[in-house]
Amino acid sequence: MIMSPSIIDLAIRTDNLKKTYREHSKSPVQALDGVSLSVKRGEIFGLLGRNGAGKTTLLRILTTLIKPTSGTASVFGLDVQQHGLEVRKQICAVLQENALELFLSVKDNLTTFARFHSVPTEEREKRSLRAIEQFGLGEHKNSKAMDLSGGLKRRLQVAKVFMVDKPLVFLDEATTGMDPINKRAVLDAIREQANQGRTIVLTTHILQEAEELCTTIAMINTGKIVATGDVNAIKALGSTVYELSLTFEMMNDDMIAQLRSLNPQRLERKGNTIHLCVSGMESNVLDTISRLSKKTKLTHLEVNTGTLEDAFVELLGKSEENPT
Amino acid sequence: MNMILAVMYREFRIRATGFVWIFFDLVMPLVYLSLFGVGLDKAMAAGVATEGARLSYQTFFLAGVLSMACFGIAINTSYGFFVDRDNGIFYEFLTYPMTRGQFLIGKIVFNCLLALVQSVITISFSVLLLEIPMQWHLTGLTLIGIIVGTAGWFFFLSMLALRIRRSDVYNTVLNIAYFVLMFASSMFYPLDSMPRWLHTLSLLNPLTWHTDGLRYATIGVGNVETIMIEAAAFGVFCLISFWLAVRTLYNVVVK
Repeated sequence: MIMSPSIIDLAIRTDNLKKTYREHSKSPVQALDGVSLSVKRGEIFGLLGRNGAGKTTLLRILTTLIKPTSGTASVFGLDVQQHGLEVRKQICAVLQENALELFLSVKDNLTTFARFHSVPTEEREKRSLRAIEQFGLGEHKNSKAMDLSGGLKRRLQVAKVFMVDKPLVFLDEATTGMDPINKRAVLDAIREQANQGRTIVLTTHILQEAEELCTTIAMINTGKIVATGDVNAIKALGSTVYELSLTFEMMNDDMIAQLRSLNPQRLERKGNTIHLCVSGMESNVLDTISRLSKKTKLTHLEVNTGTLEDAFVELLGKSEENPT
Repeated sequence: MNMILAVMYREFRIRATGFVWIFFDLVMPLVYLSLFGVGLDKAMAAGVATEGARLSYQTFFLAGVLSMACFGIAINTSYGFFVDRDNGIFYEFLTYPMTRGQFLIGKIVFNCLLALVQSVITISFSVLLLEIPMQWHLTGLTLIGIIVGTAGWFFFLSMLALRIRRSDVYNTVLNIAYFVLMFASSMFYPLDSMPRWLHTLSLLNPLTWHTDGLRYATIGVGNVETIMIEAAAFGVFCLISFWLAVRTLYNVVVK
């Protein structure tokens, strides 16, 4: 079969993907409602959305765990329904929280996982030692997984991904429950893997993490993609969002009330400094600041476009107001 | 083949982590025969009458113990589905580069090997210490009976384990099945001496078919025609269970 170059460049492609869960005595749940997206090879692709938005369902379809109700999904050009085994040979997935071999040691968890992914014996040993060191699991390497704390379990689970060489990796909430230092180590490791040409698809609730890590982002809400593109493009979609930092010589409740009248998404006061995130007409904002600065001296003013989190709130809010 | 070996290796590593597990897996039937069988043998000094023959209780009970070994291994393994599903590793397995059939075959081959080791230990002990008269020329049939029995019960119980979501419900179902299937069968006592209703019920029980087959293969007791019919019925039971288990494995996850 001859494929067009654009398809060859894609790690994942979905077209009008729908999934409805039907169970006896329960009304059907539309988990995905026409999801179309594409992920290029070598990207770190972030799938963002609220709980129940459809992220895990999408990942489950792409990892061949469940079948879509309609639409198509392919991994490296292979249809996930028709070529499930071939797709599984290309992927490595960490989907469930703490999915571990509870009765096996940390080291055996890593080597057993690698064995399933056909990593040769000697290489398994080498890589397990490297992963143990990289994820700070050294002092627990002979402990059974069932005896580890929640954070260590999660670390072990993510470490498994780095035992194999699959070109496409799925990580569902990879850093949940990790302390900041280990989280940093995991993010660095993910970035390193992407630099080596692996495609990483991750879901996260931590938008700062996605902003820092992902080359491309898709936001999903109630089973629909509400925005997709690189981080800057997504921020631009929520372009009416500004982050302001204002410091006045003095601050009173009336000034706060006036700033609140801008209906900020977020407003924080620290002494005479106020941080707020506003979504509205630029002139409105400037007028208010100008008015306030006439009452008391404005000593510092900083205006930034909003964070990814601000765009997330804005875009998801819009999609809920106008579901079509 | 690599994937089937990987599944077997994983099962082995898990079993090898606990002495209690190894003990239970390998010598439990032997312990049952040594304590329960020998104890009842002394209590029933006149022996057991079945199919026109009079046997010592431990001789009669050998087939019951072998059948119990197959059933017990299947129970343990099917319960493992719950543990794997509860901690999520079961779903992760299904993203590994193997087919669901390979996953099931790896599990069943490992369990059959385990059942064979158990049976060899139990039979060796029975012959050497309890002087149970084995029909050595039917050893091949015994081994086939053990393999097919383990597989059949594994498929049957796995199908239940995959269909039932709650472990407490599964425990209850298992306890009832264990109780009814074992006691309404020819495992512990000959059917000839049972009340009519229990006799009829036992004849419908696949555990009776399996035990009777093993009894014929080990000590040569049983009516050949009846054994053939029971073996055929047990074969059908295994095939249906296999079909249902595979279907359930696909349907549980692939909605």
